[in-house]
Amino acid sequence: MSERELVRFRNVQKTLLRRRVLDVDELVVYESECAVLHGENGAGKSTLMKIIAGLIAPDDGIVTIAGNKMSWRLAYRSFQKDVVYLHQSPYLFDRSVAENIAYGLRRRGLRRNAAREKVNSAIAWAGLSQLASRNARDLSGGERQRVALTRARILEPRLLLLDEPTSAMDRDSREQAFELIRDLADSGITVYISTHESAQYYQPDRIIKMANGKLL
Amino acid sequence: MDGLALASAEALKLLFTGDPDTWEIVGISFLVSFRAILFIVPLAVIVSFALAYGEFPGRRTLITIFNSMIAIPAVVVGLLLYMLLYSSGPFGGWRLLFTQTAMIIGQMILAFPLLVAMTHVALQGVDLSAWQTARTLGAGKLRAMFTIMREVRFGLIAAIVTAFGRVVSEVGCSIMVGGNILHETRNIPTAIALETSKGNFEQGIALGAVLITLALVLNFMVAIFRGRDMARH
Repeated sequence: MSERELVRFRNVQKTLLRRRVLDVDELVVYESECAVLHGENGAGKSTLMKIIAGLIAPDDGIVTIAGNKMSWRLAYRSFQKDVVYLHQSPYLFDRSVAENIAYGLRRRGLRRNAAREKVNSAIAWAGLSQLASRNARDLSGGERQRVALTRARILEPRLLLLDEPTSAMDRDSREQAFELIRDLADSGITVYISTHESAQYYQPDRIIKMANGKLL
Repeated sequence: MDGLALASAEALKLLFTGDPDTWEIVGISFLVSFRAILFIVPLAVIVSFALAYGEFPGRRTLITIFNSMIAIPAVVVGLLLYMLLYSSGPFGGWRLLFTQTAMIIGQMILAFPLLVAMTHVALQGVDLSAWQTARTLGAGKLRAMFTIMREVRFGLIAAIVTAFGRVVSEVGCSIMVGGNILHETRNIPTAIALETSKGNFEQGIALGAVLITLALVLNFMVAIFRGRDMARH
């Protein structure tokens, strides 16, 4: 973990159905850190992660990137390409595993052939070689999560947000997922994981506790 | 009974000998309805996406309105469009009344709520996380839309096929704004109405057979696409 600041969020607030679900005074994300957002269900972890990923808009919030203060809306335009968010139950498109993994690369303008090479090595990294041509919808929960992690990793994001990544897995799949996540963190990607289970499984650099929409 | 059998035999003869008048009417029908669907699908898809994934006040009310508008009678759409397009109406200067363009507009209006409602239902079959996944992986809004459309392709095709079936067989709107002009705006339903009123059952039966065959084919297609859609989810 480095002490270099990747992004800083200040006064991030979100209200849903007239209830304040998120009220974060300040969150500093450091480069190459592995952090766990820990809290009970409903603590606001997913909301915070989706706001960081630019998937939902906060009511209010100031973002500082490389010393430049800006509104969330402006920040997310430049920052979104550096962030990948993984849902608790990752959505895999109705196409092959290889095509799913290539999806983000193609959206970033990589040509089919160039994407194929990267996809093949990523598939090998994740131990998915035998599943490459299978339809992703036909996979088990653990396999789906591995495909989703590979699909995220291949984009080499600066910040990877994992929302309860192992909550619906059996023991073996969880072990494999922990290993992949630790690999990701070791590769220099900043990884934020939300969980209500023990944070220690992920061996994080930092544990950030959340309750009632606030960082404790 | 003999009359009916004779008329049916004549009808088959018209169809299988390639009677130019009969097939011209079929051609006009298909061309008008195909264009109407082609032009309205993009707008209907955009509205469906907004209703499925947008966050704005009145969204649920709009969904209810679209669902209710499916049942709007074609003749009422025809009446409203007629009032807008007739020579002293607000758009009378455009001289669209009794043209294929007027029929296309009418059929677009008829197809729109059906397309929106059915596409919206299809979109509800995929989770919001599908949209968010496409976006977080770098897809712009338009590309994310195409990705989700691919995910719901069977439902989307079923919506298009159903809407086409609705507009190709409607008579009320076409007869009011098209005027049933031979070689111009006479389509299958308006021709059936006219020929039957004149006692010429042969062409009516022949065109009716085309419509029934089309309805069967479309229904089979919808059933197949629905089945595939359900199998995928």
